[in-house]
Amino acid sequence: MSSTEPSQNKTWELSLYELHRTPQEVITDATEIAVSPRSLHSELMCPICLDMLKKTMTTKECLHRFCSDCIITALRSGNKECPTCRKKLVSKRSLRPDPNFDLLISKIYPSRDEYEAHQERVLAKLNMSHSQASLVNSITEGIKLQSQNRPQRSRKNQEESSNPSNSNGTSEPAQNGNSSSVPKDGTSTGNPTPPGQSTSNPASVRSTPSPVPSNVSSVSKNTSTTKRAKSVLTSERSEESESSDGRTEGENSMDTEGEGEPLNPNEIELVFKPHPTEMTGDNQLMRALRDSSVRYLKTTANASVDHLSKYLAMRLTLDLDAELPEAYRLLNFCIYVAPSPGQFVPLAGSQTLRQINDKFWKVNKPLEMYYSWKKT
Amino acid sequence: MAATRRLQKELNDIRQSGLKSFRDIQVDESNILTWQGLIVPDNPPYNKGAFRIEINFPAEYPFKPPKISFKTKIYHPNIDEKGQVCLPIISAENWKPATKTDQVIQALVALVNDPEPEHPLRAELAEEFLKDRKKFTKNAEEFTKKHSEKRPTD
Repeated sequence: MSSTEPSQNKTWELSLYELHRTPQEVITDATEIAVSPRSLHSELMCPICLDMLKKTMTTKECLHRFCSDCIITALRSGNKECPTCRKKLVSKRSLRPDPNFDLLISKIYPSRDEYEAHQERVLAKLNMSHSQASLVNSITEGIKLQSQNRPQRSRKNQEESSNPSNSNGTSEPAQNGNSSSVPKDGTSTGNPTPPGQSTSNPASVRSTPSPVPSNVSSVSKNTSTTKRAKSVLTSERSEESESSDGRTEGENSMDTEGEGEPLNPNEIELVFKPHPTEMTGDNQLMRALRDSSVRYLKTTANASVDHLSKYLAMRLTLDLDAELPEAYRLLNFCIYVAPSPGQFVPLAGSQTLRQINDKFWKVNKPLEMYYSWKKT
Repeated sequence: MAATRRLQKELNDIRQSGLKSFRDIQVDESNILTWQGLIVPDNPPYNKGAFRIEINFPAEYPFKPPKISFKTKIYHPNIDEKGQVCLPIISAENWKPATKTDQVIQALVALVNDPEPEHPLRAELAEEFLKDRKKFTKNAEEFTKKHSEKRPTD
């Protein structure tokens, strides 16, 4: 239309630039140019649905691209202008399909369905891990509040029982407050979202996506492993926070599996195993250990590696008192953490468990540590 | 449906970008059309507190703009007592479907940091802002101290 007019007036002589320019050489060798999909994303993305363009339509005037479905919905919804720059778009006729662009996309992403499915999975996982993280957060806060209230409650009870003369008049309302409203307050203020409702949602709805295939990036793998651990955790937690007294349950779970809950964020759980290569060898200690070599611990996060090795030495001497020859008493242990299977990082004595956990073990499951005796 | 999908993407992008000035984003699992978050301004007199906002997306999003309201009281020429805020980028006349929520939030943070007394919602504050900046700052600081939320520590 309008663009053809100037070309008719144009003389067909070549400009100086055109006369002198030499065409760029075609790349015929095996030169490869790597472009990350991330940097292409904004170019190949529909600004309406933020997905990759599907059946691309281009506005004739301003040359902005949208999915066919998206731009048609936009026009129907009454906005007769370009969603990107607000230039007037009278109707569908102000658009034209852009099959070349579709072709380009299919060259870059030959298996588009796979890519989209992957995106979907990553999205679902991110959403879930976030909602669960915030849930766990709110619950631990609730538990903290509860535990703050608990000592008050018992203290008040003690006070009451110690001076029964008061109980007629003044302690009546206080007692009410103690027995019913205080614990309820603790749970409700601590959990902005009701725990029962929100746990059931992510657990039931979100756990459906199929397990991640091996080609997915490491980030999503990580989340998938935490997912499983967390779904166990959250269900336990919700029970715990609903029951008025979480303490007894917490202690039970500590004894049984080592999978149980830290009652407060200052505690850390760990699984202690003998170092698989250094602790082999056929010797008396190993034989004596055979039955009790793997230990599940739960301790304060401020404990250091030194504390651990002392604990271990003492524990082993106590447990194996009879069978253990004098030479193996007062052992020094070297302690390792295994951030990934087969990789053992020795730890300095002054490091606290929290530091180790934060540095090597970001996953929400018991810290796995290994011990071997110190070579002298 | 289209709104949900886009909002999920936007929410993830925003959470991953780790904005310092907008954080603690809470979205109900069952309703992604309502977000809450904490605006953490950098400029005085608002840099002593944080302000909770709610973003409401219409079902027609992104073809219709979201609405923003302040849940925390704030002494600001462009934000009224009910928490309504006048933000050009999300007004019906200016809205473009291609506008993303992070741009909206950035515009909002900029407006909180630097009030625009030329387009006030509270004329008396705009006047004070223009004529007696000292008094305005003092009032706003006191108001912030009294009403705003605690700023996140990290």
